[in-house]
Amino acid sequence: MPSPSRSVSSLILRLAVLVAVTTVSLACGRQAAAMEGSPQTTAVQPSDNRGTPPASNAELAAAIDRLLEEGWAAADVQAADAISDEVFLRRVFLDLAGRIPSTAEREDFLSDSREDRRLLLIDRLLASDDHAKRMADLFDVLLMGRGSGRTMRERHEHGWRQWLQTQFHDNRPWNQMAEAMLLARPATAADNAATWFLYERNNDHQQIAEAVAPAFFGFRIECAQCHDSMTAAEVEQAHYWGLVAFFNRGKNEMTDQGPRIVESAVGGFSEFADIEGTSSPNLLKFLDVDVVDEARPAADEEQQESDELYQAAFRDGEPRQPVFSRRERFVEDVLRDHPRLAQAMANRLWAVLMGRGLVHPYDEMDSAHTIEHPEILQLLTDDFRQHGYDIRRTLRAIASSQAYQRSSRKPAGVDDPATFAWYLERPLTAEQFTSSLRVALYGAGEMPRELTSAVRQAMPDVLPDESVTTIAEPLFLSNGPDLQALLQEVSEGDHPLAAMAALPSTHEAATALFLATLCRMPTAEEVEAVATFLSQSPQSAEISSNDAPPVAKQRLVHAAWAIVTSAEFRFNH
Amino acid sequence: MSTQLQNRPTSSGNRDCGSPEHGMHRRLFLEGSLAAGAASMGSFAGLFSAQAIADEVKKQGKKCILLWLCGAPSQFETWDPKPGTETAGPFAAIPTAMPGVHVSELMPQCASILDKLAIIRSMKTEPSEHFQGIDVLTRGDAPRPPFTRPILGSVVAQQLGQLDSPVPQFVLLDPCPEGNEFKAFKGGNWAGWLGAEYGPVRAGGEYSIPNILRPESIDEADHADREALRRFLSRKFENDQSSAAAAGYNAAFARVKGLMSCAPLFDIERLPADDRYRYGPGAFAQHALLARHLIENGSTFVMVANGMPWDNHVFQHEMHQMLVPELDNVIYQLVNDLSERGMLDDTLVIAMGEFGRTPWLNDARGRDHYAKAWSLAMAGGGIRGGVVHGATDERGFDVTTDPVDNRELFATIFTTLGIDPAAEYDLGDLPTFHRVEGDAKPISTLLNAG
Repeated sequence: MPSPSRSVSSLILRLAVLVAVTTVSLACGRQAAAMEGSPQTTAVQPSDNRGTPPASNAELAAAIDRLLEEGWAAADVQAADAISDEVFLRRVFLDLAGRIPSTAEREDFLSDSREDRRLLLIDRLLASDDHAKRMADLFDVLLMGRGSGRTMRERHEHGWRQWLQTQFHDNRPWNQMAEAMLLARPATAADNAATWFLYERNNDHQQIAEAVAPAFFGFRIECAQCHDSMTAAEVEQAHYWGLVAFFNRGKNEMTDQGPRIVESAVGGFSEFADIEGTSSPNLLKFLDVDVVDEARPAADEEQQESDELYQAAFRDGEPRQPVFSRRERFVEDVLRDHPRLAQAMANRLWAVLMGRGLVHPYDEMDSAHTIEHPEILQLLTDDFRQHGYDIRRTLRAIASSQAYQRSSRKPAGVDDPATFAWYLERPLTAEQFTSSLRVALYGAGEMPRELTSAVRQAMPDVLPDESVTTIAEPLFLSNGPDLQALLQEVSEGDHPLAAMAALPSTHEAATALFLATLCRMPTAEEVEAVATFLSQSPQSAEISSNDAPPVAKQRLVHAAWAIVTSAEFRFNH
Repeated sequence: MSTQLQNRPTSSGNRDCGSPEHGMHRRLFLEGSLAAGAASMGSFAGLFSAQAIADEVKKQGKKCILLWLCGAPSQFETWDPKPGTETAGPFAAIPTAMPGVHVSELMPQCASILDKLAIIRSMKTEPSEHFQGIDVLTRGDAPRPPFTRPILGSVVAQQLGQLDSPVPQFVLLDPCPEGNEFKAFKGGNWAGWLGAEYGPVRAGGEYSIPNILRPESIDEADHADREALRRFLSRKFENDQSSAAAAGYNAAFARVKGLMSCAPLFDIERLPADDRYRYGPGAFAQHALLARHLIENGSTFVMVANGMPWDNHVFQHEMHQMLVPELDNVIYQLVNDLSERGMLDDTLVIAMGEFGRTPWLNDARGRDHYAKAWSLAMAGGGIRGGVVHGATDERGFDVTTDPVDNRELFATIFTTLGIDPAAEYDLGDLPTFHRVEGDAKPISTLLNAG
């Protein structure tokens, strides 16, 4: 049963369609919130290609550090200390591989005495399947949003998830990925599922526009539905409706080849009205790019469909395509080489590793928001563009910088997270959380699907603006049936937790539990606390006779719960 | 409007819970560990015995219910009708219990108790976009990043709440997780620099809080035991790392036990059927009733929202014709109930959105955003009834007398609740912030003398 306000908003939408108006909801974002009081260092502008960025990874990382350090020196900021290998290990596994390291991986790394072991680990992780999965998890949410269970299933069934994972596995250039998604004419079967980006939006062309702007250009455009942005002059209402027009001739069709967006050669002309009621035509216009020319029928003239307006499909069995294709024009004339494409991705990759964008929030890169370290964004953007939109290259440089490898303890006297003077703590995503549970307690094999989807609901955030824990999450962890069931399950069979229960003493079990879950040696105090907990059986005296194993399985389950729900496990730090 | 009341989804296992017997594991009796059980039974009983409640409430001082009309209602179809002008729209103005004062005909019940209500017709604020408007009208001031001012409910809970009470002091009842900008706003930091422990407990949807009951697979003693170990480890990490994220996380965990003990409070099916009928079937109305119930039982601030339904850019009159009568009834029932229970003097009720709506209609026969001249209503909590403060011009284009901005509004709210609006926050090395900035003064005509 939908709640009343949901029905109301869907009613509004339906009414809006009926009367064909342009003002449905003045859906304006968060921008002005960031304006007042913050020094206008540099407002966001598209980057051009000035300067030659350093070529090697080490030079790029060093340049990042130098630029940050110059800023700290100017602002008299004392940055946090460098971290140990042990801390680095867990951090970089979570950020790049989306999970904590296993105890074996931990031992391997800590016994590695090579000078460049951290960089070697970064490279190993970037080349791993876990990395591809981590990036697919992340970009699924960033590009598509969290969906219902059904939506998630569809993304799997239609290959979208796998497509993403393959792209990141192959380190496909970001501009090629973007074009594959937006042109949505798979030249090879390998790109079949790229169409899902548009297809899932189900012919809702406004929704498509509102997704394209943040996903590929780094800014939100909802506001401009009804008026030129009041906070960022470059975001015009004409851009909103222009972006809609580039896609509004598309129509979903499930073909034998898979989901396709068939494009018409006619229609899609309308007028939009601003707040004063002045009408303007929805020209093919977006940002600073020249308007794409297209013959426009007179107001009283109806365009006639004709076969001449179409050409054969680019590939056998595919739907025919218009001679003049708006979508193709968007990809070739607007998207291709647009400076914002690289800039937005550079900022987002920075946010993935550093905890927030150089422009924050990372998807509001308009002139109302400042770039905190403009030279770094410029550097990363130029480098990304000049090196073929190589995602892995950018991640590698950031992860190997000293800036990434600083303590998460905020230095005294520094409050502004935009200084990046310490590693910003961040909650694990649902996927990082479940994958880490798997490594620590479950071992090989697939985790129960119910758990995965329950955790997704309880921890929906990915790159949140701020880390805020609501009461719902501790309630889920304390009382939700799924985590409970998992812990019971892993105390049996050949799961790692069951193996700990067989250890000869509670102290050894406690130590093993710490290593498996928190990836570090516990302190003596911590071992004592957990060992004491393990030895206190709430069962009556007869059970804890001499024959009983030293580690009561139920107590171990509870201790495991206590550790995986502690803040140390829940956050990357 | 909604049949949710009749058809609300139920999750099995929620039905028979909350009884003392159920809250205690049988083994505790069998093994003679009655002490733990008895203690929890004691606090359980204490929560729901009428006499104890009454005493508690008297001790605890003032409370507040904010009916948050997100999306922004029209002043013309509510408190400031403009009959006979092109602004008016199709609805008439009707007389009220206060001679000479008229409100929209969509609000006959409120009209009949206008002597208990105070109306401000001269709200004049800055932001005319939702996110910014919500920010300013729920926090009291414009943002100044990177510092986050706490939301009204957090301030009131911190100032007037009983932090050791198991009953959550600040509750947000909102069945609709959606709502455009309000959805984004809900994802943000509400408690700001006061810290996460002053953030709201959010409930709604099924009128209950998910996972509020202990699973049957673990008994009470083990549940408490493992939590003690978790707390020890997690706090140690928080202290060792001086971690703000861990502090917020641990603060949220610290509320679990208390919240679990008052699960029955959130179970609307325990409320008298008559009450539920009087408030009406919509989720907003049922939540307003639940707000009353929570206030009666020890909550300090309850904010009732329902997504963002008031943003009627399309078919304004048709939409308001649905929304306003529900609001009319909710305010009427709430004010009467509080009055009958002797609680109105100590409970402030505020009904407002983030701005008003344009005097003119757009092409879709909707009214757009308008912050220049709009209305809101308050009752109880020391606010003088029967007062209409400020006025707009003939057609409602602008304020003609006594403009009120967000700061003066917040100064008034704080003052009537007995909270000093001029106080400075003690925030260590952060810049100086006041509870209300700019030395804004409360609106004296709205405050009961003494």
